[in-house]
This record gives sequence, C-alpha cells and structure tokens, in this order.
Amino acid sequence: MRYLRTTVAAVALGAAVGMAPPPAQAIDPGRIQNADKNPNDWLTYHGSYKSWHYSALDQINTTNVKNLKVAWIHSPGRATRGLQSFPLVADGVLYYTGSYSRVFALDAATGEMLWSYIPQLNEDLIAAQTHTPYTRGIALGHGHVYVGTMDGRLIAIDMKTGKPVWETKLVDSEKLTVGFTGAPLVVKDKVIIGAQGGEWPWRGPIFGVDGATGQKKWEFFTAGGTPEAQKTWGNESWRTGGGGGWMPGTYNAEKNLVYWGTANPAPLYDWAGAKWQTEGPRPGENLYTSSVIGLDPDTGQLKTYFQTLPHDAWDFDDAVGEFVQLEKNGQKYVVHPNKGGYVYVFDQDLKFKNAWPLADNINFIKGVDNNGKLIGRRDLPEGKSTDLCPAINGGISWNSGTYNPQTGLYYKVGNEWCMDLEVVKTTPVTEPMVQLNIGANFTIKDPPGGKAYGHVDARDPLTGQTAWRIDFPEPPLASLLSTGGNLLFVPDARGVLHAYDARTGAELWSHNNGLGHNGGIISYNAKGKQYVTVAVGWGSLVGEGYGALFGEPYKSMPMDQGYLVTYTLP
Amino acid sequence: MIASMRGNVLLLAVAWVAASGWSAPGACAGLDVKSDEDAARLFATVCGFCHQDGGRRAGKGPQLMGTTRSDEFIINRIATGKPGQMPAFGASLSQEQIEAILHYIRNLKPKEATGS
Repeated sequence: MRYLRTTVAAVALGAAVGMAPPPAQAIDPGRIQNADKNPNDWLTYHGSYKSWHYSALDQINTTNVKNLKVAWIHSPGRATRGLQSFPLVADGVLYYTGSYSRVFALDAATGEMLWSYIPQLNEDLIAAQTHTPYTRGIALGHGHVYVGTMDGRLIAIDMKTGKPVWETKLVDSEKLTVGFTGAPLVVKDKVIIGAQGGEWPWRGPIFGVDGATGQKKWEFFTAGGTPEAQKTWGNESWRTGGGGGWMPGTYNAEKNLVYWGTANPAPLYDWAGAKWQTEGPRPGENLYTSSVIGLDPDTGQLKTYFQTLPHDAWDFDDAVGEFVQLEKNGQKYVVHPNKGGYVYVFDQDLKFKNAWPLADNINFIKGVDNNGKLIGRRDLPEGKSTDLCPAINGGISWNSGTYNPQTGLYYKVGNEWCMDLEVVKTTPVTEPMVQLNIGANFTIKDPPGGKAYGHVDARDPLTGQTAWRIDFPEPPLASLLSTGGNLLFVPDARGVLHAYDARTGAELWSHNNGLGHNGGIISYNAKGKQYVTVAVGWGSLVGEGYGALFGEPYKSMPMDQGYLVTYTLP
Repeated sequence: MIASMRGNVLLLAVAWVAASGWSAPGACAGLDVKSDEDAARLFATVCGFCHQDGGRRAGKGPQLMGTTRSDEFIINRIATGKPGQMPAFGASLSQEQIEAILHYIRNLKPKEATGS
C-alpha cells in the first residue's frame, strides 16, 4: 500500500468567477462544537456534533409554509447516479459536492456561483468501481473545504478562493479499487474520513489527517484493528475482512470520542450458516465490523465499541453514520440506527441501553435482548433461503433521520422489503485488482402478504414508541429535516418534497422536483431570510433497483441528472 | 470444462481493452475457473450484486438469461463496463474468467427447468 502526500499544483482545476464571496469568519473547532447554537449556518454533515439534522430557524413555519417557493436552482453537471450529497452553509456561502468530487461554492441567497473546484480523477479506475462516482459530502474547517475522492485522496480546498491547498493519498485505490465517497468530519485539528469497504476484501480504514497540513496522523483498521480483534477472525481472515466506515460519524467533546459506524464483513454472505464460530470464510465474531466504535480523535486509538451484529451474515452494517446525541431526565444518550432495521440506544460510552425495531418486516433475528445480544439469529447456510427480511437494501438506509427537540421525537424512514437468496461458496478476487465479494445470488421481493413500501415514523428516540406514521408506496431514500417552525421535510423517492406538521404528521405543503431525492436537505439563514435546500437526483445502488421492484416512474427515471433546489418565502 | 470456442472473440475484446489504456488482465488469486460450478461461483462473487437471481431477473442491472446480445458485446461490456451503471472488470478479471462468465450467461436456465 502506498501513502503519498503531495502538494497540489496543476493537477486540479479551480475556477473563480467575478463576484467576491461574502466575508467569511474562521471555522475553528470551537465554532463547529457550538454549531447547534447558530442555526444560521449548517457547518457539518449531521448539522452539528449532536447530529439532529435539525434547524432551530422558524421563519418558515406551519402557518406560512404553504407559500414556500423555489428561490434558485444549481446544477453541478456530470450528475452520474444523481446527486447524493449533502450541502453545508457558512456565513452566507453554500458549499456542496456533486458526483466526481466536483465542489461548488454558491451565494446561499441567490445561488450565484462563487467558485468551483473540479478535481482531475483517475477515470479508468472510477470506471472499474462499483460504488461510484457519487460523493456524498464535504467538511468545513481551518479555512478549508475538505473532500474525499474515489481514487483514494483527501483534498483541502481554500474555502475563499476554491484553490486546492493540499491533497493526501490515503488509499491505494488502483489496487484496492475502493476510495472515498462519504463526507469527512472535522474534529479539533484533525479531518477524519472513512474508506469504502464492506463487501470488499480489504480492511476498511478510518483515517485521521492533520487539517492544516494534510499529514496523515493515524489509521484505524475496522477489520482486525487490534490484536484482540484479530482473534475474532479464524484463519487470519481479517486480512480480507471488509469493514470500512463509509459514512461520517460524529464527535462527543465531553468524552473526547469520535463515534463511527463500521460496515459489514466480506464476503457478505457466509456459507458456514449456524457453524460460523468455527467454519466458513471468516470464522468468529469479526471485530470491529458491523459495530459502533469510539475512537480517540488525537491518536486514533479505540476507546470503546459495541458490535451490534457479531459475525454479520446479512449485510446489515452500522456504517449508517448517524449518532443522535441527546439528553433526557438528566441522562445522556446516543441513538444509532442499524441497517437491519433496529435503532440502538447507548450511553455516551457506547454501553448498550436499548434497541427497538423501526422496520415492520424483520426476521433475520427474532429480537435483541436487554444486553444487546441477538435473539434467534437466522444464519444462512450454503444454498437457498427464502423470505429473508429485510432485503439487502436494509430496513434502514444510509441517509439520516432527524431529531426535533421541540417535539422530542425522532423522525426516520423505515423500509419494508425482503429477498430470496442462494448462498454460494466464493473466493475473493484480490489480484491484480480487488473485487467485491458478495457470496450469494439474490432476488429482492415484496414482504410476505403485501407489497414493498416505506414509511416515515415519528418515534420516541429512546423507547421507539410511535407518535404518528406516514406510509409511502416506495421507501424514501433521502435525509429528513425538522425545524424550529415545527416542520418536518421529507424528500420522497418519486421527486416530491413534502412538508408536514412535525407534531401531528399533517401534510402542509409539497412540491414536485421532477426527479427522485437521494441526498441531503438543510435549512439556513442568508441575508435575513430562511432557506431550505434539497439535493435532487436519483441513482444510488438501492435506487437503481426500484424500476425492477416498483416499475414506473423509476423504470424511466434518469440516473444521470441532479441539481440543488432552494426554497424560501416570497 | 468451459468451452474455448469463443476465444477469438475474447482476444478481440482484450485487444480493445489494452488499446483503451488498461493493462492486460492477469491471473486472479484463488479463482481458477475450470468448471461450470467455478463460473457460477465467480458470478456470485462479483456479479450477483446487480444481476438478480444469478442473472435470471432484472434488478440493478438487466436480466442476462436469454440475452440476444452477441458474445463480442457481452465480453466487451464485462471488460469495459458502462459508465455510471456497470463497472469495467477488464483490469481485475482474467481472459479465462471473462470467458467463463460469458459461458455461464449463455447457459442460464429458469430455476424450474434445472430442478434446483
């Protein structure tokens, strides 16, 4: 593996247009730490370290949302697999990335472009990748915009000029095939980013990089990252164990812990069946895959962890990077959804407190006991299995829900679908270039007795008690937003952006954006007005299967277009 | 054993891949494809993620069973992919492996017919 750090010169194209950006203030660690106290901005992927995906702004509210209109639209171009990214806002400037790590800075009030940064990428490599070419987000800090690339680099861009400052090669993507698609996270002086992994026979590192210089400071392997962990992989299978942490986690300053979710092990499906402790391609519990981990941001040392799915045999990983930090009755909690359809509740040290099912159709386990142990796991031996629920797409997907402190409710999408599969003994492809290792053929299907569908639930985040719920004919695949105006915004799969009363679920407004939603949504203040910005564009790996499962409008929905749409009141 | 009658077509495809800038495909660790079963395993390793039910049904990718595409087209598509939809496997799979996948596709039958 090669680790190269180079100073960027002519390898990237930066273009500034005539208008000077508004004056920007420094985005230092203290400002990010207090992001939840300044709703004018949206400084990090999850809104703040609390990860509420909530804006306290209330200029747009339940009484006037019916008047919401489009303010401006921006197209990033080259929107292969749509627009899956998450915009950020600081000091009246909106920053976002499209596919191929194309980064833009826009006047947040008008959409006028301030600068663009179009990196030169290894296009031959990208053509060989499966989970590509989307880029799901960026990070701000230390005067930079940070973006990962699918060819394994982390790049710092001057947030005022759009010029590249440094780039660091972190992953030998030319050999390992995978790179970065998730957003980085700025914590103190570090930029933290997780590599793609999962079904790829590698070890899914999470990296800590000096935000000022680009120097790599640490690397944590999610597959066999400690001597203790390597003992949980028979036959040294950690060497091709998968893992990864492909979506950003968050930070707890009180504990000095970075929370991160890790991906599934490889191969996805394991022919050992119930004998997984001693047989099969990866005997053992496979630490730290399908886990939530707490890392020291200064050193990358593992401080705590909880493995939700020991020896994950279903691709129900924890790389959903959502860690909602909240306090109730004097106790502090971390709420984390798992792809299997359960929502886990931990204390700040990731000690298990509770798990409740969000999805209706779950039969890969019968439940989770009071200690977080799986009850009645359904391991899959070589050969056919039918009606496994949820399907590989997950009872929960990677986009985020939202917690609203005014209602005390957590809003989250649940997915209802199942699949038949035939587990096959496979051998990983590791030379000359690594390939994904699935280990099965499968068919996604309707749940027993009904059609596949989705729902948005308003739940007590700690107990899962349902306040209200809205069903959708297909699972929405975008992030949700709630606001201080008691609004819940749901961008759906067909392309309609809905606004609901967050207290009751009553629909108050909708607008058809013409393409499915598969990315982020935020709210911010620019020049005294509140705006809502949503990513529009269809084509994620899950969304690609909607045509076969649901028919139109997905069969004919373009998967090479995308744009940002921003709304405000007249 | 995998039939080798399509070798000429494959050579043309590999030549195209080399001309497009890829290095020539090499051997892949631990994945000799000497039988139909080996080809099926290879398909389940890298292809089954998008082509559902072993290629018998459309999913993320199209149904492969009964395809009317030519051998040359299929080999080219496996080797060079389709931007934004299908990865190019020309740098990770060997000539023999790509040919084995073609053979697997050509011999796909409905599960009922195979009795499996």
